[in-house]
Amino acid sequence: MNASWGNLLLALVNAALVLLLSPLVEGLLRKGKAFVHSRRGPPIFQPYLDLFKLLGKEDLRTSNDLFYRAAPSLSLASVLLLAALVPMGAAPPLGFAGDIVVVIYVAAMSAVLLILVAYGSGSPYAFVGGSREMMVLLAVEPVVAVTLVVGAMKSGSLATAGILEWNAAHGPAISMILAGVALFLALQAQAGKLPFDIPEAEQEVMGGPLVEQSGPRLALLRWTLWAKQLVFAFLLVELFFPWPRTGWWIVDLPLALVKVLLVLALVALVDVVNPRLRVDQAMGYFGRVAVSSLAALAFAVIGM
Amino acid sequence: MNPTTATKGLRSPWATQGPRVLERRLGSHLQECRAVEPDILWARVARHEIRTAVETAVREMGARFLISVGTDRRPRGEGYGIAHLFSLDRDGLFLGLECLVPEWAEEVDSITPIIPGADWSEREFRDVIGVEPKGHPDPRRLLLPDDWPEGVYPLRRDFPYHERPQAPQPTPPPRKEPPAGTTVIPLGPFFPSLEEPAYWRIFVEGETVVGCDYRGFYNHRGIEKLGDSVLTWDRIPFVAERICGICGFIHSTCFCQAAEKAVGIRPPRRAEFIRTLMLELERIHSHLLWLGIAGHILGFDTILMQTWRIREPVMWLTEEISGNRKTYGMNALGGVRRDITPEQKKTILDVVRKVEEETLEVKAAIVGDTTLHARTREVGILAKKWATDFCVVGPPARASGLPIDARLDHPYAAYDAVPPRLCTQQAGDTWARVVVRVEELVDSVRMVRECLERMPDGPVMADLPGNFPDGRIGISVVEAPRGEAVHFVMTGGVNRPYRWRVRAPTYPNLQAMPAMIQGQNLADVPITLGSLDPCFSCTERMEAVDVRTGTVTVYGRAELEAMARRHRP
Repeated sequence: MNASWGNLLLALVNAALVLLLSPLVEGLLRKGKAFVHSRRGPPIFQPYLDLFKLLGKEDLRTSNDLFYRAAPSLSLASVLLLAALVPMGAAPPLGFAGDIVVVIYVAAMSAVLLILVAYGSGSPYAFVGGSREMMVLLAVEPVVAVTLVVGAMKSGSLATAGILEWNAAHGPAISMILAGVALFLALQAQAGKLPFDIPEAEQEVMGGPLVEQSGPRLALLRWTLWAKQLVFAFLLVELFFPWPRTGWWIVDLPLALVKVLLVLALVALVDVVNPRLRVDQAMGYFGRVAVSSLAALAFAVIGM
Repeated sequence: MNPTTATKGLRSPWATQGPRVLERRLGSHLQECRAVEPDILWARVARHEIRTAVETAVREMGARFLISVGTDRRPRGEGYGIAHLFSLDRDGLFLGLECLVPEWAEEVDSITPIIPGADWSEREFRDVIGVEPKGHPDPRRLLLPDDWPEGVYPLRRDFPYHERPQAPQPTPPPRKEPPAGTTVIPLGPFFPSLEEPAYWRIFVEGETVVGCDYRGFYNHRGIEKLGDSVLTWDRIPFVAERICGICGFIHSTCFCQAAEKAVGIRPPRRAEFIRTLMLELERIHSHLLWLGIAGHILGFDTILMQTWRIREPVMWLTEEISGNRKTYGMNALGGVRRDITPEQKKTILDVVRKVEEETLEVKAAIVGDTTLHARTREVGILAKKWATDFCVVGPPARASGLPIDARLDHPYAAYDAVPPRLCTQQAGDTWARVVVRVEELVDSVRMVRECLERMPDGPVMADLPGNFPDGRIGISVVEAPRGEAVHFVMTGGVNRPYRWRVRAPTYPNLQAMPAMIQGQNLADVPITLGSLDPCFSCTERMEAVDVRTGTVTVYGRAELEAMARRHRP
């Protein structure tokens, strides 16, 4: 691990970037969604105002269990940690050889924490939402893992930085493109967007795991979700679509950001033109995606 | 009365054979049987033989149960009257089987074992009249609130309309016990995907529904009681219109037609055409509203936003015609209170052309949507047998292959001149109900056009007789967007009906819900319920309050109106 002051600073920059930018990105997505709806839509800065309002409210809890109390903060922290493990215009600040294994684990942390929050809130809706969250996690996680393994196979490196360098240097490969597409589909579910917003399904389970959450807890959990979609979009564009690459952080970061916005716009578009799937249908769907991503792995094995 | 309806009813073989068939089975227990109106066959049956009579009507005559009417006839020295109303659909004939329950008995044989769809009707007359349906499978309280004392029956004539009895202890009706090993997921009393209060307790195993329990009627306001104790003939159409916030015109039309039939008034032909026109405009906006809500339940908000945008000009149009977006206040006994001007005719044609165009675009978009198919096909299947058993009406019945449509079976208003196309599907799933409604929507546009084309000139209001006859009966059905609404009127009150009975389409449809969700995934319950297009306030006969009035307090009415008008194209 190359832990210098510079890297630590960059890690903070990454985390701050994600923390500050993710509500804005969400605001832009809402605006785009409103456009398709023929609506005017809320102001772009509305998510900041939402967070500000929620953070100022009374902290109501259904349980005083220490872990239950800390879960929203831990959840946001896990995503910020992930932000330091994902390349954003530069090699990941906390990256090290073999870091993709850590990425896979840290990426699942916020979902697991949400499930624990759901089970701790004692509401039947949260309970159903929690079990749905678990099923979606179980369906999506293999897809994320396989796509990263494809990257590792191609580049011969177990580090995100290694995959990024290899891909930037060698240009598009069939297996990497396929894996990228699979990761995009997983991103749709990770961001909690339709047709995969099944755990929260307002019309069925009234927000599922979030039904008993309010005030600062709800603010942190929402923030987590917005930050997560941003970090995952970075992971996707940096590992699988890193071109063009100048090598200067100051240029590469805005470039990556533009690509991230494009990817998220696509996510939002899929969101507005789809109704919600049932959880069994979503699991079947990700089962097929996982099988297809194995094809990417096969391509990677034969060197394509 | 409408001449076409009348002739259709008279021509029916059952008009003459019905009494014979009933007499063969009942013998001397059939006390009286005659056509009290050209399209109403009314039979009075001995109390102990009511179940046999109902069985004969259903099994031998193919009658479809509509509703039960409990009437307190004690002031006339006849005890309590329990009448079961039926429709002989192919013949345009109504059949009423009535029995008198003496004051000391207060019970009658339940017909629910024969007709599952009579469940609520019988519980309702038990609650409000106090006649016990003997042998009812589920005799729990249905309509009265938890804190209403036992033994107080609001629709009895000696119960004052403004009395507010209070039980010392609220006693909710006993709940159904969930089967062992199941979890109870409550849907309601307030739930995001239901616009009105209703309380479903869904019993689930994992996410599979194994049963449910229902408690509703939170919206009951006793409109029927007002009709026979406070309101007068000329006021009831306006109150009837307020039964529902979506299909109010259906209820005012249905009441007016029933009363006109009973009293013997024939509205002018032009008024009948205007009623037809308004009914179809109401269907257009209601189906668009429903399509949006169905989309929203599935998380498909783009459909919601677009269909409601398409719908909005229809609301402006009805405002131009009647002065109101909803609750037009146009119906009165003997005709309508507003005429359609030639300029309005042009506007109507422009609006419906645009609606048709955009609806077809939406239709094209949803027909090819595979995710939408995944969520609606084979979801909430209502088998044809259940649809028959629960006496389901309207689009859900037609989507299950039952070819019933009040506009065709009992042609009222101007539907004899502008007949609808019967839209049926066989699958009985949610998708079939979507298809039926979208087809009806497009067909309604055609009917609006033809209505305007064929509308004759002339007056829009008939002269009313000075005195209304006593003891006459009128039954009218109107095909609301949700299905068939039934109004029953018995004359003889003081400048008001002696009894006015309302049955909204959701009343039978909602009773089929438990059968439809059995074995389904919990995620499919909201859309299954939504696909019935339930309207609880209709069912429970209250004044629907628009939930958006919450915003009125923020913006102020004048400002909202100004905003709405400013954004008009």
